[in-house]
Amino acid sequence: MPERAKQHYLTKVALIAWREFRFTALTKGFIFGAVAMPVLMFGVIALMPMLLSRESPPLVGTIVIADPSGTILPRARDILASPPSNVEVLQDLAENPPTDPAAQLDALSELGDTPTQRIEVEWRAEQSLDAIEPMKSELREGLILAGAAIPIASLDPSVEAKPFELYIPSSLSPKHVRQITRAIQQAVEDERIARSGIDANLISRLAKVPSPATTRISPEGGEAQERTELRLIVPGAFMMLLWICVFTSANYLLTTTIEEKSNKVMEVLLAAASPMQLLAGKILGYSMVSLVMLVMYGGLGMAGLAAATMLDLVPMSHIAYLLIFFVMAYFMVSSMMAAVGSAVSDLREAQSLVGPVMMLLIVPLMLWAPIIENPNGPLATIASFIPPASPFVMVLRLTASTEEIPIWQTALAIAWGFGCAWGMLWLAARIFRVGVLMQGKPPTPKELVKWAFVK
Amino acid sequence: MSSALRISAGSSAVRIENVSKRFGSVQAVRGISLEIPERSLCGFLGPNGAGKSTTIRMIMSIISPDSGTVEVLGSSALAMKDRIGYLPEERGLYRKMKVGDFVGYMAKLKGVHSTGLSRRIDDWLERLALPGVAKRRCEELSKGQQQKIQLLASIIHAPDLLILDEPFSGLDPINGRLITDLIRSEQARGATIIFSTHQMHTAEALCDKVVLINKGDKVLDASLESLRARHDDRGLLCEPKSNVTHFADSAVRSGLAIAARAREDGTVELDLPNGADSTEAMRAALELSPMRSIALRRMSLDDLFVELVGGSDVAKGARIDA
Repeated sequence: MPERAKQHYLTKVALIAWREFRFTALTKGFIFGAVAMPVLMFGVIALMPMLLSRESPPLVGTIVIADPSGTILPRARDILASPPSNVEVLQDLAENPPTDPAAQLDALSELGDTPTQRIEVEWRAEQSLDAIEPMKSELREGLILAGAAIPIASLDPSVEAKPFELYIPSSLSPKHVRQITRAIQQAVEDERIARSGIDANLISRLAKVPSPATTRISPEGGEAQERTELRLIVPGAFMMLLWICVFTSANYLLTTTIEEKSNKVMEVLLAAASPMQLLAGKILGYSMVSLVMLVMYGGLGMAGLAAATMLDLVPMSHIAYLLIFFVMAYFMVSSMMAAVGSAVSDLREAQSLVGPVMMLLIVPLMLWAPIIENPNGPLATIASFIPPASPFVMVLRLTASTEEIPIWQTALAIAWGFGCAWGMLWLAARIFRVGVLMQGKPPTPKELVKWAFVK
Repeated sequence: MSSALRISAGSSAVRIENVSKRFGSVQAVRGISLEIPERSLCGFLGPNGAGKSTTIRMIMSIISPDSGTVEVLGSSALAMKDRIGYLPEERGLYRKMKVGDFVGYMAKLKGVHSTGLSRRIDDWLERLALPGVAKRRCEELSKGQQQKIQLLASIIHAPDLLILDEPFSGLDPINGRLITDLIRSEQARGATIIFSTHQMHTAEALCDKVVLINKGDKVLDASLESLRARHDDRGLLCEPKSNVTHFADSAVRSGLAIAARAREDGTVELDLPNGADSTEAMRAALELSPMRSIALRRMSLDDLFVELVGGSDVAKGARIDA
């Protein structure tokens, strides 16, 4: 005879919660899909700069410049010897974007503070453009690295620049082509400016206006240094983190509830626990799954920021708000998913009922940009009080704004949000207790409302 | 320990009073009242859609009656959930869960302590001719094996009331016998058992009491013994060694029977006159002809089922309580 004890109401809830957590989060599928994959992706992202900053292939050989003016070679030699700045690399990429992904990576590899490329180039000047044909022969035989012909007209500042000719062997890498092209192109530009009689340094100084150091002045008199990345990346990352963690676990809740109904295991469970215990256990179990994801992904993000010495982007208040609105968002979304899961018999039927829920959940994703742009605007303020979008919108606002969101709005959004979450949980419980025993065609929204208020 | 002893002797394990349930336009159960004594083995009989499963679900408090009261083990089924074992008609398992984990989970939900649970599960699996399946996933088992696992999940906590909805459906004769033995042993342990079935011979062999439900109405509620006495239509079934036609004629002419029918299988059915003593009638029949066999003819549960449910005219108004 087994030893049997009268159980506390919550003991069954805890048992159900642990089963849901164990058979979701402690499975190979979850560990691989939700843990290993992001860790792998994070690892790749972390390793990317290291991989990209590898030693560039050396540029070795002879470059022949056929230039009747004789002025381009010394300029090009000096330019090639001094590596371009990151800004120049990016500008060059923007103006001449490589179409080949490998070439794009190659171009990006030029970014970095201390390039370690070995450049051993010999320059040979030819006074006549007649040297082009012998130059081509030397290229075919692999005797030289590249050849360029600069017509004298290209250097005339009074007319529009003519393109110069560049000859390269088929095996030359895109990076080397870009380096040689940039050097000669820059040399031609400099020579044209010089011939015009204008000071090239003056033009450079005149043309380069650095980005403004923006300071936001609030009506209350506060000043905050503008940081674009803070206003765009951090709020987006916070909202996506919240969205992914909440939606993934709520989706698990939906599918397992449907599975229990279709497997007919629901009635066995209801013989052991009440519908309320079952619902509470399931919601609690998947909240732990969600929390694990939040801690893991959030932790990875924080580790990434710490590695980049950018932890100051995320103050503690942001984390506190994230946790508060995570709880609110999870209870809102999981309540709806549990209600839908209990009412249908398969995933296909669930789609029609989940559709409106998804529409509401997509709202914060769609309104991301305008909310960040104007966190205290009417759109952001109104959206903060529309469940289930409200917690996502509030996280966007609170992490985006460089000026304070009125405290009364934050307090009201929290109070109203938790009130709504409680209401949704209550409705879900009413629907769940009827829905889990229903078979056959899925209910209409009208029938769902009827279930919620049936005695 | 089991709480069967907590029910006072002679009390009812289940008491239902005037219970009705309607689903939309369908009246699934109509004003049913019944009592099931503790430690009895009660069969719920009836055709498909009669209202058996609905009645069972109301006993389990899985659904609430529209009207009437249900009392289980002296309280409501909700309060007594841990003392009830239930095998629903539509079987369900977590397909990906291991057998041992599933049975253990159900046992813990019913309040069984973890200590020694694994050993207990292994013992039961051995007893159900399923040794070594504890580590296998439920989906890896055959349909019959899965059914036995579901039955095990309903009895692992040694319930005081065991409710089995169609426990024999889909089982081969060997497993059917195994389940029959298990039901008997659970009754011997002290449990009250309710099971629904279509198999009349099983109900006849197992039950102390039968409840027959048809179209939501209770049409029969009686102990098997009283049923047999009530439906004994005073007849003999004889297998004479002599010519069957001659024996039938002799039986009527001698006044032993008011009617006699010779059957193709070499037996003769004798309808005895009212008030006839069956023992005396047997002796008189033996005097008419030597016999290969002679027995009291009794109406089987099958016959009764057909009589009460088969024709609506017969069923109408045929309400038997004992």
